[in-house]
Amino acid sequence: MQKENQNKIRLGIFVSIGLTLFIVAIYFIGQRQQMFSRTFHISGIFKDISGLQVGNNVRFSGINVGIIDGIQQITDSTVRVDMTIVERTRKFIKKNAKAIIGSDGLMGNKIVVITPGTSNKRALEDNDTIATTQPISMDDIMLNLKTTTDNTADITSDFAVITRNIRKGKGTIGKLFSDSVMANNVGEAMVNIKQGAGGFKQNMDAASHSFLLKGLFGKKKKKEESKMN
Amino acid sequence: MSNESVIINPEIIEKKISSLNSFQKGLTDFFEEVSALTHFTIHFFKEVFLPPYEWKEFLKQSFLIGYKSMPLVGITGFIMGLVLTIQARPTMSTFGAESWIPAMVAVSIVREIGPVITALIFAGKVGSGIGAELASMKVTEQIDAMEVSGTNPFNYIVVTRIAAATIMLPLLVIIGDAIGLCGSYLGVNIQGDVSFHLFFLQVFGKLDFSDVMPAVIKTFFFGFAVGLIGCYKGYNANKGTEGVGKAANAAVVFASLLVFIIDMIAVQLTSLFN
Repeated sequence: MQKENQNKIRLGIFVSIGLTLFIVAIYFIGQRQQMFSRTFHISGIFKDISGLQVGNNVRFSGINVGIIDGIQQITDSTVRVDMTIVERTRKFIKKNAKAIIGSDGLMGNKIVVITPGTSNKRALEDNDTIATTQPISMDDIMLNLKTTTDNTADITSDFAVITRNIRKGKGTIGKLFSDSVMANNVGEAMVNIKQGAGGFKQNMDAASHSFLLKGLFGKKKKKEESKMN
Repeated sequence: MSNESVIINPEIIEKKISSLNSFQKGLTDFFEEVSALTHFTIHFFKEVFLPPYEWKEFLKQSFLIGYKSMPLVGITGFIMGLVLTIQARPTMSTFGAESWIPAMVAVSIVREIGPVITALIFAGKVGSGIGAELASMKVTEQIDAMEVSGTNPFNYIVVTRIAAATIMLPLLVIIGDAIGLCGSYLGVNIQGDVSFHLFFLQVFGKLDFSDVMPAVIKTFFFGFAVGLIGCYKGYNANKGTEGVGKAANAAVVFASLLVFIIDMIAVQLTSLFN
């Protein structure tokens, strides 16, 4: 009889442990899905939701604050995404806050990221519609990459033509490379410019020391010094 | 008109007829078995709601079937979680996704591996036990003696065992899953350093109601199938000691097969509703 009672107690403990674990699991999953906390609902209109699913997280300032609780196609190019957000974050999500569809890591699930608005605006109300920003999709990136690649191909083909012309001695730069007389002339011109610049410097130094222009140069010097300070 | 005659070998015809007869017999046996099992199931559902309710026997069977299976399920669950985590690490680290191991193992254990492995162990331990016990009762004519003494043997022996198996297996699976996750925690910390709090958050961060509820619901069916097959095979065992072994063996094989079939149907239904 005593053994039978002991067995009953053991069975009771076993069943209690099993049920407690189950209830704890349900509680924590429910808590994650904001089932036991006060929430409010907002929605956003997107052109493309990029594979977002019901149950995905809503993130604000890097914290999971809600979940997607509904996705509905409104027109051929717009999709309404309903979100449930915990009440305690409502005061931080302003009227001009924006929602964008992002990704949880490189391989993670899609999420909705809410960027905060400006503090002078009022907080979002229950059942409000939040402004959205269209995410950059992989297709857009590929399209841009294609345009860039096409432009690069055009530039390189043009550059090939230019270098071919230079090599053949066509154009000014081509002549400079192939015509030794012209190269000498350019060299002489450079020497003349250098000599001219040296002479001009000497004249200006002399002018700055002459009593007629001394005042003007002095003022200029003072102005530069005050600017430096 | 040609006068050619076809030579027919009577041996070939005899062989063909013999194989056809054996196929027919096999088919007939199969359908007879299905019919008998269906009658047995209907009989169970008729008896389960009718008094007298054998609470004492039900509690005793629950203790034997549930509590006594806990060490085996616990050890298996722990090893399962540990091994799964260690095996997953090299593949996950290739993608730099080690932090996803707890979530991946949790979803695997809770959704599929926990219920199925536990049910198979349950079929091996409990299914064979019930089959052998009932078959030996049948062989030693204890069941007939119960009938003579005015006790409803079906209600006392079969209903209590099937009900106990149906209710105990989900509890065993829940406890087995929890122990499996403890094993996974150990596995994560063999080559890494993750606090229990973080591990707990990572596990519950990815688990969903759609992971837990279908898994728990299907374990009721697994438990029912194991109990039903064990009782059916034992209750209908042939006389003789050979029948006991055959009943125990058939109970394990058939119950294990049924677990996989139920699991396949459950997965299809779950994906349909998701």
